[in-house]
Amino acid sequence: MDLDKLRETAAEVAGRDDVKYLIGWKKGSYGYRIAPAFVEDVEAAAELIFSPLCTANLATYLTLVEKLPLPRGQEPDDRKVALMVKGCDSRAVAQLLAEKGIHRDEVIVIGCPCPGMVDPDLLAEKYPETEEPAELKWSDDGFVIVRDGEETAVPRDELLAEKCRLCRYPNPVVSDIMLDDPVETWEPAEDEGVTEIEEKEVDGRWAYWQEQFSNCIRCYSCRNVCPLCYCQDCILDRLNPTWVNRSVNFSENTAFNIARAFHLAGRCIECGECERVCPANIPLGKLNRKLAREIRDKYGFEPGLEPEGEPFQASYKPDDPEDFIL
Amino acid sequence: MSAMLLNKEKWPDFVGKLTGKKLWAPQGKGEEMRFAPVTEGEAPALEYGNTRVPPKQAVFPQTETMFRFQLGGEEVEVPEPEEETVLLGVRPCDARSMAIVDNLFGWEEDDPYYFKRRELVTLVGLACSEPGLNCFCTSVGGGPASTEGLDLLMTDLGEHYFLEAVTEKGEALLKEAGDLLEEAGDDKVKEKDKKIEESAGKIKRSVDHEGVPESLPGLWDDPLWQSVSASCLGCGTCTYLCPTCHCFDIQDEVEGFDARRCRMWDSCMFGEYTLHTSGHNPRPTRRERTRNRINHKYSYFVDKFDVIACVGCGRCINLCPVNIDIVEILRQVKEAI
Repeated sequence: MDLDKLRETAAEVAGRDDVKYLIGWKKGSYGYRIAPAFVEDVEAAAELIFSPLCTANLATYLTLVEKLPLPRGQEPDDRKVALMVKGCDSRAVAQLLAEKGIHRDEVIVIGCPCPGMVDPDLLAEKYPETEEPAELKWSDDGFVIVRDGEETAVPRDELLAEKCRLCRYPNPVVSDIMLDDPVETWEPAEDEGVTEIEEKEVDGRWAYWQEQFSNCIRCYSCRNVCPLCYCQDCILDRLNPTWVNRSVNFSENTAFNIARAFHLAGRCIECGECERVCPANIPLGKLNRKLAREIRDKYGFEPGLEPEGEPFQASYKPDDPEDFIL
Repeated sequence: MSAMLLNKEKWPDFVGKLTGKKLWAPQGKGEEMRFAPVTEGEAPALEYGNTRVPPKQAVFPQTETMFRFQLGGEEVEVPEPEEETVLLGVRPCDARSMAIVDNLFGWEEDDPYYFKRRELVTLVGLACSEPGLNCFCTSVGGGPASTEGLDLLMTDLGEHYFLEAVTEKGEALLKEAGDLLEEAGDDKVKEKDKKIEESAGKIKRSVDHEGVPESLPGLWDDPLWQSVSASCLGCGTCTYLCPTCHCFDIQDEVEGFDARRCRMWDSCMFGEYTLHTSGHNPRPTRRERTRNRINHKYSYFVDKFDVIACVGCGRCINLCPVNIDIVEILRQVKEAI
């Protein structure tokens, strides 16, 4: 992608009177880290980048805003928020629009066709991070790592993130401005991670998740990073009544993780952020993709494709299968 | 303080000497490493960077039952104190954090739950030879071989571990394992010192906190808090994985008629932290909460106990999903002062 074009466009958008800020990606403080950038003035747009390190789905910031009561006489700031999106991120925006979690005129979507991101853990494991911020670029057949002035070419398959191997929508499905021509889509890989668990016996599946959920420290980073976990009043925060105890143990952790997975069924757009941010390395992607697979197979429904469509839970068809109802 | 050598081949025997005590050591692979009980008869391997989850849970469990009771009953049952526990391979920063947190739990009144565990725990440290990318212990009062909080410190000298007792508990361990150890000669002492110096030299990051504790509260309304917290997700990763973070919440939990009062880690980054019953929250957004996290560590705690409540382990930097970097925040603070 032409970074000059990206920055020029961003500066133009951020400079508009009806725009509060633009959210994009910038280089982080060290190594391969990327930090979300909130661009309020035109100059700050010069920091923006789009590279194979921009895994983060920034759509979560659309609903993460904490609104304080306004002082008397002060008008609310109704300006728009501009957001840079990859294909997967745009599906989160489309789903939020379909659910009316956000309104179309509140947001300006800047589309970045995405050739695929690297897996940050895999990258750091194979090519250790240094304190200097490094850069990554796409090449014709993979990635190029630029560290301390040296370039290392790496084949695509070696570092491509799992979510990108499985990706079916690398091009933004909703956008106001597109920064580049669409990328050529690729044949999504088989989701072996989910299949492997499906093939286990019930006891094996239970044992697998028991081990995983026992590691959960309930930091709620998965919930907070998720663009589609945006309930103003989350059942996990409720104390009266307490739906999920604050105690951190297998039972409560399971209640939390399963509740979250169910609430995302038919809504998860498979951006993989929950799994990326989990400090306990719980393979949450497998859990959410399993539910997505069920809904795709049983109902032929995929969330986050039609901003004006009907959300899965709000839809009813007379021929919906209901053989699981006794 | 006596200095001894332990041939690494005798490490399993050394561990074997600790029978009768519960052993905790880093378990798991790679980044999933955390302190957990050691299976009997196993000698834990100590070659690792640092655990993702700090060992603070050994003295300050994430969930602790304070007492149990029956709904409608009149008796309360206080759980028995735990058995003696030895933590093997604790990093000096994590041990130091316990010494720092002791201040808080011993503030005016000793917290019985915390100190019961603290007294039953022996910390066997391992000096760092390969500090991590985001380690900055040397600039906040620690170091790769800091002994503060430890009972015994081991330094890896290749074939041997160099053992130094720091407390009586540590001396007792050395005595128990006496027949496995050899006296460390001057050459080994020199070798160890050189190793530690090399290790400290590998630490690349640092914070300059001179004047920060006094000046931080004066930056109350500085725009920096907005900019450093704009991307914060409000999750508990930084605080739960921080070895010095010690905030807790107390809840009564009920199953049928069985009830218990327990306390569990809380995080100042959560929206419900300090939320009043009235609905008012003095820290209503992530801006105020981020400001609180930094002020607490680098100002309030210093004011109260004369020590920075940050040991420079780098966990909050390593694991923040959105690259909120405490070293970078302190650089900006310093600039704004």
